[in-house]
Amino acid sequence: MSTMEQDETVEATESAPPIRVQNVDKHFARIVALDDVSFDIEENEVLAMVGDNGAGKSTLMNVLCGVHKPTNGQLYVYGEPVEFSNPDDARRYGIETVYQDLALMDDLDVATNIYMDQFPTRGIGPAQFIDWDETYRRASGLLKDTLDRPDIDPHTEVEFLSGGQRQLVAIARALAFDPKLVILDEPTSALSVEATELVHETVRRLKAEGITVVIVSHSLDEIFGLADRIAVLYHGSLVDVAQTDEVTQDELKTMMSTGQRP
Amino acid sequence: MERLVPLFLEHMIWPILLVTLIVGGLLVPQLFRNVRSFELVLYSSVPLGLLVLAESICLLSGHFDLSIGAIAGFSAVFTGLFIGGCTTCWGIAGDPFVGIGMILLVGGLIGLVNGVMIAKFNVNPFLQTLAFLIIFSGAKTALTTRPVGDLPEAYLFLGRNSVYAIGLMVAVFILFAFIMRYTTFGQAVYAVGSSEKSARAVGVNTDRIIIAVYVISGVLAALAGLMLTGYTTIVPPDIAENMVFPAFAAAVIGGVSLFGGRGRISGALGGVLLLGVVQSALQLSGIEAAQIEMAEGMVLLIAILLYNFKEDIRGRILAGEAS
Repeated sequence: MSTMEQDETVEATESAPPIRVQNVDKHFARIVALDDVSFDIEENEVLAMVGDNGAGKSTLMNVLCGVHKPTNGQLYVYGEPVEFSNPDDARRYGIETVYQDLALMDDLDVATNIYMDQFPTRGIGPAQFIDWDETYRRASGLLKDTLDRPDIDPHTEVEFLSGGQRQLVAIARALAFDPKLVILDEPTSALSVEATELVHETVRRLKAEGITVVIVSHSLDEIFGLADRIAVLYHGSLVDVAQTDEVTQDELKTMMSTGQRP
Repeated sequence: MERLVPLFLEHMIWPILLVTLIVGGLLVPQLFRNVRSFELVLYSSVPLGLLVLAESICLLSGHFDLSIGAIAGFSAVFTGLFIGGCTTCWGIAGDPFVGIGMILLVGGLIGLVNGVMIAKFNVNPFLQTLAFLIIFSGAKTALTTRPVGDLPEAYLFLGRNSVYAIGLMVAVFILFAFIMRYTTFGQAVYAVGSSEKSARAVGVNTDRIIIAVYVISGVLAALAGLMLTGYTTIVPPDIAENMVFPAFAAAVIGGVSLFGGRGRISGALGGVLLLGVVQSALQLSGIEAAQIEMAEGMVLLIAILLYNFKEDIRGRILAGEAS
């Protein structure tokens, strides 16, 4: 490859969006869960995905985070075509997911939950062992500095935490390895008003840190309070990707219930 | 305070062991008459200790293994016949080191099948290991109903020498305590035990962990079989029978959760020592074998009651935190 060609590739990659979803279908036997979905996720935006039950939000989220492979279509990360066979593949491209059930291990402490399977280690050559001092130090830094939550002790077993704190631990785990994109699946569905506000504050903080956030939610108030753009799905098809300040809640409800733009 | 109570409950074995040692020493003075008496208590606990370790690792992963006693017995009889010089022995190899390698291989292979069936074919661990308990207990009897003897001296050496046997048990416990605390594998075992689904979601290869746990369990059970063989210098046909439930009792009394994810290898060692002291005290008191078995059953019952008590207190603390 010539230098000029290399330069062109780099330029194309740099100008490309963090994620491009192009003509993606997902079929489960005869059920069409996603039908020809195309849109971009822009750098450092908060994009909400909305739709009624069965609209395809969870399927699309699972395609983005590597749980499902698209039946047809292509995903691009910064212009590079990618195929995710599992969440680890997505993680390698900086895509982290906070699942609705949080995927926490209640018997283990906060730091262990954050760094499970990716502990800081020390040793000689292949004989590497977990460096617990570094694990707790990093977890403490993440909770204090990045999330501004010094009240969550990295040594506490997760089962002793409140709902909001558990959600933040799951977000901390997603942030532990400098993600480019964080997907939050129904992050406040089971939380109190106070805990919900905590999570909203954290989403704003992530955006301020330069992280792109995709949030799947049923709560229109939440979406209008947090999102820059809103992707509306209806029966597996993408109805529209609207700027939040250019659409009303009523218009959004119409799109969600009829699949038609107002 | 809410954090200290669970911590105390997790380490409850040590005050219980201390009280048992004091009461045992007062009621049965010959238990700790001299260093040799104490050494004998430890020496007789070695095979059970290895089975407790095997069971503890399974329990920590949220699984359990009913077949450890059968694996210990079958692997000891099979290897005894393979290398022994008795009239009923096959005498295929006489090298003691081939024998040591073989007994561990047999145990590991049985554990591998257990693990693959459970992880890859989703067979219920209770049913899988119960089936292997029955199969390998039967297979052991099918191989021989007579004691297997005339075994190479070096094959018996580790189990026959009390200092080496105790040293081996302690070394294996230290090794696994280190592995469980300081390796990604050890922490993944806890993660699978706490929530297999969550562990999988964060990238732990849960199938591989479950298979590895059962292989380790099988190898440790076979090592217990080797120690039992050295202890008696022959392989009796009833070797390692009725040892699986005391192994459960010692693990649970040592603070290992029946539902996985919680517990320490050091606690399991405390459970072994406690059961060893109780067994030795009963034997030295001249109590008959059947009654000792009954007493072991009572220890298991106490272990379960203690476990329920612990979970009850933990639940109350959690409810207090939540409200």
